[in-house]
This record gives sequence, C-alpha cells and structure tokens, in this order.
Amino acid sequence: MNKEMKTTLLHEWHVENGANMAAFGDYDMPLWYPLGVKGEHLAVINSAGLFDTSHMAVVTVEGEGARALLQHCFSKDLERCLGLKKTGLAAGRSVYGLFLTPEGHVLDDSIVSQVTDSLYMVVVNAGMGGGIAAHLAEHIGELPVEITDLTDRVGKIDIQGPASAQILSKLLKDPSAVFESFPYFSFKGWFAEGVSGQEMVELTDGTPILLSRTGYTGEFGFEIFVAAEKVVSLWESLLEAGKEKSIQPCGLAARDSLRAGSVLPLSHQDVGAWPFGENPWPFALADRDENGKFSKDFIGAESLSSLSLKEYTLAFAGYDPRKMAVSDKSYVADVGGDRIGIILTCATDMAIDRVDDSIVSIATPIEDGKPEGFTPRGLSCGFIKVDRQLKPGEIVLLTDGKRKIKVEVRRDIRPNRTARRPMKEML
Amino acid sequence: MKEISELNLPEDVRYTKDHEWAKVSGDTVKIGISDYAQDQLGDIVFVELPAVGDSFEEGDEFGTLESVKAVSELYAPISGEVVAVNEDLEDAPELLNQDPYKGWIVEIKPSDSSQLEALYDRETYLGVLKGE
Repeated sequence: MNKEMKTTLLHEWHVENGANMAAFGDYDMPLWYPLGVKGEHLAVINSAGLFDTSHMAVVTVEGEGARALLQHCFSKDLERCLGLKKTGLAAGRSVYGLFLTPEGHVLDDSIVSQVTDSLYMVVVNAGMGGGIAAHLAEHIGELPVEITDLTDRVGKIDIQGPASAQILSKLLKDPSAVFESFPYFSFKGWFAEGVSGQEMVELTDGTPILLSRTGYTGEFGFEIFVAAEKVVSLWESLLEAGKEKSIQPCGLAARDSLRAGSVLPLSHQDVGAWPFGENPWPFALADRDENGKFSKDFIGAESLSSLSLKEYTLAFAGYDPRKMAVSDKSYVADVGGDRIGIILTCATDMAIDRVDDSIVSIATPIEDGKPEGFTPRGLSCGFIKVDRQLKPGEIVLLTDGKRKIKVEVRRDIRPNRTARRPMKEML
Repeated sequence: MKEISELNLPEDVRYTKDHEWAKVSGDTVKIGISDYAQDQLGDIVFVELPAVGDSFEEGDEFGTLESVKAVSELYAPISGEVVAVNEDLEDAPELLNQDPYKGWIVEIKPSDSSQLEALYDRETYLGVLKGE
C-alpha cells in the first residue's frame, strides 16, 4: 500500500479478512474478498451484501438560507422533485442530482437529503467533500448558511439486496416502526445525538443511525450512516445478523458491476468534465418545458439549455462476459470499423445472460422467461460516448485495435431489479 | 489476497515471469496460469483460446483471460504448435480459479525443447514473487 493512501476505519478488517485491496481515489479499498466478485455480485441479487462506503463524503448545509443555496448550486429543482405530482423536497426525503460548473460540466454527483427545514445532508463521492463544500461556500453570498465538510468523520455502510430489511430488523430497536412507510429515496434518523425535529433511529444498543433507502446497486437496500467510532462494530453486527441469509462482504468490483448493470453512472468516469448532455440520466436535472427551459435557474442551466450536442452517452450490453479495457488505445467503432467514440465504463454483470433476444437475470421469474436451470455466464455492459445518436438495438464494436467485441446499445441492462420494490414485500 | 506463503506452487512445473506454468508430459507441454495469477486476477469469467494447429513463437500472445478486474493476455512461454486446447474452460472458466494446475489452458508441441530450461523452477519463481 502506498503510504500516502487514506484508509477507512474498516481497513484493518478488510486486510485481516483476505480482501484484495487497491487504490480508489485517495483511499486503499477492498476490490473483493476471498469469495470472489462473482459470488459477491450474486449475493446482492439473491440475498444481501455489505459494502464499506465510508470513503464517501458527507457535507452538511445548515441555516435559513440552506435551501436557497442548494437551489442555486444543485441541478435538481428542490421545489418540484418528488413523485408524479412533483411536490417539493420535504424532511425525510432525498433526491439525486449534480453539482455543475457554469459550462454544464459535472463537478460531482450527489444525493441531497432534507433533514429539517434548515438542515440538509449532501453526500458526495470519495475525496469530493472539500471541493463541494468550497463550491457551495463560494456561492453563499448574503445567505445565512453554515457548511460543514464531515469527510472521514461519518462512517457509512451500505447493505444491499432483497434480504437487507430482514437482516437489519434484528439490529434495530423498533424495526416495525422504522420500516413502516419507508419509500425509495427516503430516510429516517440521524447519525449523532438528536437533531431537533428529527425522529431517532436506534440500534438495539442505543447507537443512533441515519438509515436511508438508497444505494448504488440497483437492488433493494439501505445506506447506513453512523458515528465513525461505531462503524466497525456495526459492520460486524450486520455480518453476524445476516449469517443465515448468507450475507457477504462485497468489494468495489462487485459495486461497479452491479451499478453498471443498473445503468447508474460513476462520477468522474461516466459523467465528468464535459457538458452533461444527452445521456441515460436526464432525471438528474430539473424538469424542462417543451422549449427546453428548466423549471428553475441553477449553475450550469444556461449552458445546458443552449447546448449544441456533439456527443451522446449511451448504455450498452454485450453478448458474452468479454470486456474491453478502457485505455488510451481502446475506442468505439461502428460496424464498418470507423471510430465513433470512446468507452467510459466496461464491466461484467454476472447475474445476466441472453436468452433468445432478451436479457434474463437470475432474479427473473420463470414465468417471465427465465429457463429452468439458468446459469448465466454474465454479459459485458457499461457506457460509451459517441459522436452520433444511436437507437437501442443498434450494434457497435469496442476495440483496442486488436480485439473486437460486439455490443448492443441498450435502454436498460439488468432486468428485475429490486430497488423500488414496496417495503412490505421485503419484510 | 493470498500471502506468498499461502500460494500453491507445485515443484513439478516450470514458471514464467508472466505467472504462467509449463509442464512437460512426453513430447508435449501443457500451459496454464499460476496460483498467484489466478489470485491476483480474481474470478475469471471468460477464456479466449487459440485454435488447434496454431503456431506461436516464444513471447507471442496466444489468448486472453477475462477476469472481473481486467483483460489479460496469455503469452507463449515457449515456441511450438498447439495440439490441444482445454475446451472445458469455455463453459467453466472458473476452473482456473478452483485449481489452476489441473486447469491447463493449451497443450503445445515445442519446436525447441531447450527453451524450457530458461523457465523458472519453484524456488526462482518464489524469489520473483517476493521481489515484486
């Protein structure tokens, strides 16, 4: 390990338990544990997996001007973002969006959660806490707001997979109250002693947690925020509580293959220092009217409104598990072999395979087309950025000049994901 | 990740700097990847094999391994002609993880058997691993 590397509080646990470690941003993180990434990926689809995500950064935005500051800096319209009726963000609800430059480039993606009328929690990627806190501070103007970068001061564990709530139930003081009315992208509790107006969620030993029904796998589950000094004991308790459900600790490789199959972008790789234009994630922006005008003004909005599109980011899936490494040499070609763009992400979703013309997952019900005895080999999948608009079903080639892999432009990749399933079906 | 002391490194094969092994049986040589290689790569999900009859010079790329981590080239440790490929790997690439010495990849008829002597024995290979 490079001496400069940062570590999370679970680092010692990872190493002691045989994890294959590698650098991710500034942090030395587990790629996979002895079970291997395939087993970890499948555990999240079939039952549950546990991810150390303490490298991610929490920034709090507090004060009477907090909402106005976020309305100015964040791409999502906090007054029109919840549900079909597009109501405003409320306490206990979260929303996904972006922090953009005036040119419409992505500084980072984020989930913003409203804790109270005057307290918001902004969760950004590893190493981005300081940068986003500074970006927000730069735009405060006269607003009464206090910004706090809690990088490395909050522990975070993601439990993901259909058995997540059943496992968590064993560790919560009052599980039935906690899990009652808990929609996707909502949260309860706080990771420190009480914040006025916020109901607490406590573990059986009294430890306060913030429990959020979000994640980065496309599957049902939670992100758990807890005081840094409690993160190791919570991790061990979750593994113990999940034993009979065969819960697995999961590394960043499984996190990457699960999110790619779920068509979720990795910040600074799939979205980044180029205009946030045509891509699979328009929901990260405020709504637009028929003329392309956003429902609110925010940093980057003007550039994105007048963007003349030259690049298109598209999801793809291959026909077998073969991948193309993303490098200076690799590129995307049309079927004639002409270069049309670059590869952003290429991973293998090991829970899926092609059956006739469709993609089937191990989670697909038999009546929806999963063959008896289905054992997928996995499919390569990810994102490309090309110089033309392509329709779902169109074929392109990923190549490094030597090997060529045929892939299909897709609207979606892994079917039968569980992230949005109603809570009552998951207990 | 395995400690070096935990690696399975049999005495009866020769090793290469690219973490492959070669084992002589009669007048042919079977080739595979070492326990260190499979441990570093993680789950192997696809093996691209050459065709029987293909010829390679020492150092030529003769196939690729796809692990979840990366695509890795396989290099011919010696020159020769492919007389057999392990077709079981097409449906079960994980055999390379489960037992990398039983899970051979190709069988080559060497064109110059003296090249085998340049490959590492167990002790030399261990030294290479410790130096890395």
